Amino acid sequence: MINTVEASAQQRRRNLIDRIATGVIATGGVWVILIIVLLFFYLLAVVAPIFSPATIEQTAHYSIPSQERGSTAYIAVEESKQLGLRVTGSGAFIFFGLDSGEVTGTKQLDLPPGVTIESIAPADIDSRNLSAKLSDGSVMIFQISYRVTFEGERRVLIPRISYPYGEDPFAVELGGEASYRDVVIGEDSVVAVFSDSSSRQVKLSLFEVEEGDELSDADLSSSFEAPFDIDYQFVDGQARWLYLGSRSGQVALYDISDIEEPEEVANATLLSDGAKAVEMKMLLGGSSLLVGDQFGNIYQFSITRDESNQYGLAKYRQFKLESSVQRILPEERRKGFIGISDKGELSVFHTTAEQQLLSTFLVSDNSDRPDQPLYEAYSPRSDTFLMQSENGMTVYHIDNHHPEISWSALWNEVWYEGYEEAEFIWQSSSADNDFEPKFSLIPISFGTLKAAFYAMMFATPLAIFGAIFTAYFMAPAMRAWVKPSIEIMEALPTVILGFLAGLWLAPLVEDNLLAVVSVLLVLPFELILFAWIWHILPVSLTYRLSNGWQAAVLVPVIILCVWLAFAVAPTLETMLFGGDIQIWMRETLGVNYDQRNSLVVGLAMGLAVIPTIFSITEDAIFSVPKHLTQGSLALGATPWQTLTKVVILTASPGIFSAVMIGLGRAVGETMIVLMATGNTPVMDFSIFQGMRTLSANIAVELPESEVDSSHYRILFLAALVLFAVTFFFNTIAEVVRQNLRKKYGNL
Amino acid sequence: MSPKATLDIPAETAAIPEGENIKIEVRDLNLFYSEKQALHDVNMDVPEKKVTAFIGPSGCGKSTLLRCFNRMNDLVDGVRMEGSICLSGQDIFAPAVDVAELRRQVGMVFQKPNPFPKSIYENVAYGLRLQGLNKRHILDERVEWALKSAAIWDEVKDRLDDNAMGLSGGQQQRLVIARAIAIKPEVLLLDEPASALDPISTLKIEELIYELKSDYTILIVTHNMQQAARVSDYTAFMYMGDLVEFGSTDRLFTNPKEKQTEDYITGRYG
Repeated sequence: MINTVEASAQQRRRNLIDRIATGVIATGGVWVILIIVLLFFYLLAVVAPIFSPATIEQTAHYSIPSQERGSTAYIAVEESKQLGLRVTGSGAFIFFGLDSGEVTGTKQLDLPPGVTIESIAPADIDSRNLSAKLSDGSVMIFQISYRVTFEGERRVLIPRISYPYGEDPFAVELGGEASYRDVVIGEDSVVAVFSDSSSRQVKLSLFEVEEGDELSDADLSSSFEAPFDIDYQFVDGQARWLYLGSRSGQVALYDISDIEEPEEVANATLLSDGAKAVEMKMLLGGSSLLVGDQFGNIYQFSITRDESNQYGLAKYRQFKLESSVQRILPEERRKGFIGISDKGELSVFHTTAEQQLLSTFLVSDNSDRPDQPLYEAYSPRSDTFLMQSENGMTVYHIDNHHPEISWSALWNEVWYEGYEEAEFIWQSSSADNDFEPKFSLIPISFGTLKAAFYAMMFATPLAIFGAIFTAYFMAPAMRAWVKPSIEIMEALPTVILGFLAGLWLAPLVEDNLLAVVSVLLVLPFELILFAWIWHILPVSLTYRLSNGWQAAVLVPVIILCVWLAFAVAPTLETMLFGGDIQIWMRETLGVNYDQRNSLVVGLAMGLAVIPTIFSITEDAIFSVPKHLTQGSLALGATPWQTLTKVVILTASPGIFSAVMIGLGRAVGETMIVLMATGNTPVMDFSIFQGMRTLSANIAVELPESEVDSSHYRILFLAALVLFAVTFFFNTIAEVVRQNLRKKYGNL
Repeated sequence: MSPKATLDIPAETAAIPEGENIKIEVRDLNLFYSEKQALHDVNMDVPEKKVTAFIGPSGCGKSTLLRCFNRMNDLVDGVRMEGSICLSGQDIFAPAVDVAELRRQVGMVFQKPNPFPKSIYENVAYGLRLQGLNKRHILDERVEWALKSAAIWDEVKDRLDDNAMGLSGGQQQRLVIARAIAIKPEVLLLDEPASALDPISTLKIEELIYELKSDYTILIVTHNMQQAARVSDYTAFMYMGDLVEFGSTDRLFTNPKEKQTEDYITGRYG
């Protein structure tokens, strides 16, 4: 028993150091795990909202503001949701607080005497200009703008009505009263399409005017007769397409880009089985038509172009309300819409994602039976729904941030507008406002696997065979050089590899494609041939290098073979491929060649992965117990038999985890694929085509993605997928290694 | 196989009585690890179908000598050998010798049991498969025979497909012996085969050696002088790379000719 003061002091110090060390190490370990878990949950937290369902909530209900001023012709919600607007037939603009229903101001549209407003519609893509259809057959163009002031802390909007194209209404001579009047205002022209339902007369007019000019006589015009009684008429925001529809379900599509010569590109009956087109609307972007029938079906028809460049309308998808469709309200900025049935059902849909986001019945506070909306407005940001019914005004708040994302939009083939068929496409943004975002994760996941596949194709055999030779056959003195040299390659920043791959290797491969391909294909056989020659050379020649230095002899052989390939290739190209192998491939094999392609990525990323696989495999083979190899050799096995039957078997856990960790690295690698793939999200397994990977996609798009937008969250989803995939590969590697180590551990 | 003339045989090799067939002849064997000499002018004749034990203190070169007989020393870097070893009259260092074939004839069992991480059956069949024997019924026959010869058949016959790593140390060592004799070698080299085992397993191995000597020429390296005395017919004492004394076990232990031998077997060093 040690009980002296000195000894116990020392004991205490030792215990203290021991405890501190334990604490520090444990804390470090726990922190690492904690940070990874936090990272995972952070990704999950950013991603989660895209899968949360949309909600709708009634926020206010009040009687019709200034009802005494006349009946409603039009209602609207201002962008910031502060004000609502009710326009009466007599041209009174009544602005009211959206939450309270209190009138905050009124304006009067200057109408000719005795004329009333029939309806109001947006007249350009941004909805800055509005067009009012008047009872005398004319159209009035005006703008409502809001000036923001502050009364103390309170934000106050002061509305103003202006007339950019003159205060007078204008009309187009049609020989009768125009039932439909659409006005599309462009930057330096105004297009007006007037038509009459029963006489089927359609008149197109183009005014070459800018804002501030008066509309007088049309500069260009033409007219034609529609093939059926017109019940619906739409013109897209570019004044390119004119849709005419009838309640019987017939739709005619005209290309009106040349006002003087409109061209009918399609004329078809879209509905069958006695269905009537009880409601028809144009989807944002103007290339889709939403048609609702009395059975509650809402169909999306889109303009497609077939192989012979002929336009037509195709039925894309179908949505369902429980009873007859009464109203369709397309969203102003997304490819979604609200459908309302005659039983007061309200549902929010999104076309691209092909999903119904919510469904509810419109029941205002003081009534049990569903409200029938008489007038309704969908706010520009699609977050507020205002409706006027017999019960008064009701305001609903709609929480629907990510309607364009659904499981099918991310992982299934989607038929996008303008495409011939459903496809996997990643195309997240464009300069165009009414662009349909294409968020399929398949092409970039595919790109990730493709890049990893070609890299592993190149790296795995080289790294594993190299490691086997180094560990098992190579002379120790040579191994002492080779192993650290390859391992130090791992420290090479991948940005440098990517830079070299993209700017030096890619053009080099492009210029010397035949040489590079032939080196890759022929070199292994040349090496085997040389090995055979070495084998039959007299022992007196080979003796000096027989114990593990043979690999050194290969260096000049490889250099010679590569030089030979590059020297012979141009002649060969002229003789066999007419001088340019890329043209020959394109014309004979139908294979296109991208400069940044899988071959380049395979080589560059293979180079980045080789050290990982090599190092772990080498260690695994080198640490196969000597008594096992000796046991095998002592039984009369040749070194090769020992290698294949005992060494590789015993080292298999290490080799497996080496490949898995290499694969994990290839999947997660960013800089090389970013710089050498061309970042084209194509679904093509060709070795001569590029790809876009999950990691590169995140690196490219995240900096310019709007925070908390759907796009932003999808990029985080891509990161989560990447995290999961690498986690999966590494875990598999670890589990298999642990299991096999248990099996072979007591050797 | 023909016994050689005894004209120039040094003293210690003459210890083999007339009538014994000589299996291995060692002549002027010198072995160097780089610059260090590990064996000095070793000369000896190993009789056929007898047990010859090698004793001596650690580092005396007895394992090194044993490894010369199947050329396992080739695997060590910087090893250089002079002299000759003839197996059945054939020089095993001759350039034309196929090392793998030599090792098939001269089996070896190591100090630490080294079964392969395969099934018991595959361990024993390993050497046979190396020679291209793949017919199931022949393999079955030979595996059973080898396991019976190694006195382990009864213990493993019901679990031939189990992994050999699951056997106890003593069973593993007997399995390894079975693996070695499955290919019917002429000579068996045992490098301290029982030193890692418990007394009961050691006893079984010793009994096995006794059984096997009627069919094989056995060379055994051991630290344990009692073991050498129990199992061997002839004993060679080595010290510092020299073969000090070689003779029949009875004679060497009871009446050593050399002072060094006596000192060692009486425990004065070791």
